[in-house]
Amino acid sequence: MLEQFEGLIKKRIVLITGKGGVGRSSVTAAIAMAAARAGKRVLVAEIGDGRDNEQRIHDYSPLARLFGLDHLPENKAEIMPGVWGSMLLPLKGHELFLASVFRVGALAKAALHSEALRRLFQAAPSLREVGIFYCLLTYLRQKHTDGTPSNELIIVDMPATGHTLALTGLPKILLSMVSRGPIADALREGQSYLNDPDQASAYVVTLPETLPVSETIELLEGLKNTNMPVGGVILNHVAQDPFTTEERLRLEKVFASHRAQGTPLLGEESFHYFEEARRESERLAREISVPLLRLPDAPPGCESLVSFLADSLLSSAAVRAGAPQ
Amino acid sequence: MSGEVSKLIRESRIIVCCGAGGVGKTTTSGAIAIAGARMGRRVLVLTIDPSKRLAEALGVERNPPAPVTLPADRLQAVGIQAPGTLDAWMLDPKLIADQEVRAIVKNPEDIEKLLSNRIYKHVTTMVAGMHEYTAMQALHRFVLSGRYDLVVLDTPPSRHALDFLEAPSRLSRFLDGRVFKMFMPAETTGGLRRAAGSLVSRVLGGVLGEQFAGDLSVFFGVFAGVLGTLNRDVSGMRDFLSKPDVAFLLVTSPAPAALEEALFFQRKTDELKLPFRGFVLNRSHAYDYGRKFPETALLIGHSIARTTAEKLQNLAESEKDLIGRDQELVKDLARRAGVGGFATALPVLLPNETEMRKLETLADQFKGA
Repeated sequence: MLEQFEGLIKKRIVLITGKGGVGRSSVTAAIAMAAARAGKRVLVAEIGDGRDNEQRIHDYSPLARLFGLDHLPENKAEIMPGVWGSMLLPLKGHELFLASVFRVGALAKAALHSEALRRLFQAAPSLREVGIFYCLLTYLRQKHTDGTPSNELIIVDMPATGHTLALTGLPKILLSMVSRGPIADALREGQSYLNDPDQASAYVVTLPETLPVSETIELLEGLKNTNMPVGGVILNHVAQDPFTTEERLRLEKVFASHRAQGTPLLGEESFHYFEEARRESERLAREISVPLLRLPDAPPGCESLVSFLADSLLSSAAVRAGAPQ
Repeated sequence: MSGEVSKLIRESRIIVCCGAGGVGKTTTSGAIAIAGARMGRRVLVLTIDPSKRLAEALGVERNPPAPVTLPADRLQAVGIQAPGTLDAWMLDPKLIADQEVRAIVKNPEDIEKLLSNRIYKHVTTMVAGMHEYTAMQALHRFVLSGRYDLVVLDTPPSRHALDFLEAPSRLSRFLDGRVFKMFMPAETTGGLRRAAGSLVSRVLGGVLGEQFAGDLSVFFGVFAGVLGTLNRDVSGMRDFLSKPDVAFLLVTSPAPAALEEALFFQRKTDELKLPFRGFVLNRSHAYDYGRKFPETALLIGHSIARTTAEKLQNLAESEKDLIGRDQELVKDLARRAGVGGFATALPVLLPNETEMRKLETLADQFKGA
């Protein structure tokens, strides 16, 4: 098993973030699959919307597609052996929250059935995030009768960088607004998980290319201002350069002479891509102070990318394949 | 095929670039803007979240309070001549919301009360939908100002590419009068409302704490004045975007996930009766640029070892496959675009080029026949 992956699956909650196009959903699914194979009870989650069912069906979930679903289930359900899935919905979180605050009594009922209150919870600022946060907290708290956690490892696919900062920064901001009361208590409890590097970590997925690497370095700077521990960076699609230094020097000359004659060659583009990939993975490794996980590029004709990536996480051979020579 | 895009750039008043994250929407928007300005149009490009280098190229890296006009020397360098101009602006939700509040709220005391309200600050910086709403607001404002012939909008990066289109209805729900009225002074409302209001204040007081409930009530109280105007705007947006001089372009990369999302998005624009005009296949390998296959004899002539030659030939084979795949992809997208729609491909660019050079290269593709 990848050494850094061993660190990852020891956590209770892992947030996977990264810009569009870097393969974040595939990596999230692969981590879930690999952790399940390593014997963990995994819950994979994504953030749903506060909208009603009718509108929600228009949402598009690349993550759910990887499990052969249109959406992750609203209520936790097994979506692959050892892997449960759930969409974190603000509305659901509000219901859970109100039910926990008003355990009995008319106020709880009235509150839960008041259309006006429902609408307020959906519409009012910050309460959407509180709902999502409360869903997450509920899953963290769930226990089996023997006291062990029901969801040993919760993996959240965080769509955009902004959302990650919003969710991880949420307790701090909200606590400055709401310092007492049941929401404050829930926020503090959530914070105790999210700010504890033994229990929680954010991982940033990126590619060995100029722009994604620059953006990752910027994001890590941004995360420093939150209390969210960063577990590492996952470098996806690490291609292995087939050429030796000697070969590269010779080929470079051939390409240059053909370009000069106006008869460029096929193969040159990939040749340069390897160069960029190596330069950028080296720059990333140099600039960051958190662990770096390298995931190799899938071979052509690979049938299941998720399964291939999960295998890579579980085998130490993959590390060597992806590591610089 | 590029003739259709160039006609669109020449004739549209608004071009909206949509698509999944990471497909190069901002770069495509910038290239379209340059192409428009080269045609002598006065163009504004509204971007959301440009990379640092792209923001620098467009001169908006310092988050300016108003659109920035590209200086004459830079315009000339990219082939833009009078009367063509190119302005760029980076959308900042907080800034736009503040401007709206100042324009709408009359009482200066109320303006300050709202602008310093913690909830207001949180809403304008973090709440989902605000980016989209302010983008629409800015678009509307600049188009009506008459200062531009063409406004190119780069839509916010979002997992749900459609958030942008649905933001108005979501915001209008958020701004729903009934929610606001619960926070209005009790004497202005009926008995039933009072009962609901008192339940709400009990719940809020108990659950959220007095302090938050107090902030909330100031927020809604002052914001209620802004409400009427905003709601009217929101409902007008859809009509505004359905006009014939508006074009929705769908930017995608050849990655299967991005494509799938693009097709999903196309169905959605149909449903919403928005003027979808075509696909832009960005970062494609659809152009072969007359590249030749590195034949063994040729490489050996350059004294390249046979084993090295084989490795290069493997790469060349896959590049050839990619070229074929992307050429088919453009044809397929053109078919899917239907009557009156089109599909065009943009090439993958070398990473070591400057951002402006990249934009220029892409803008060249839009020159048309």
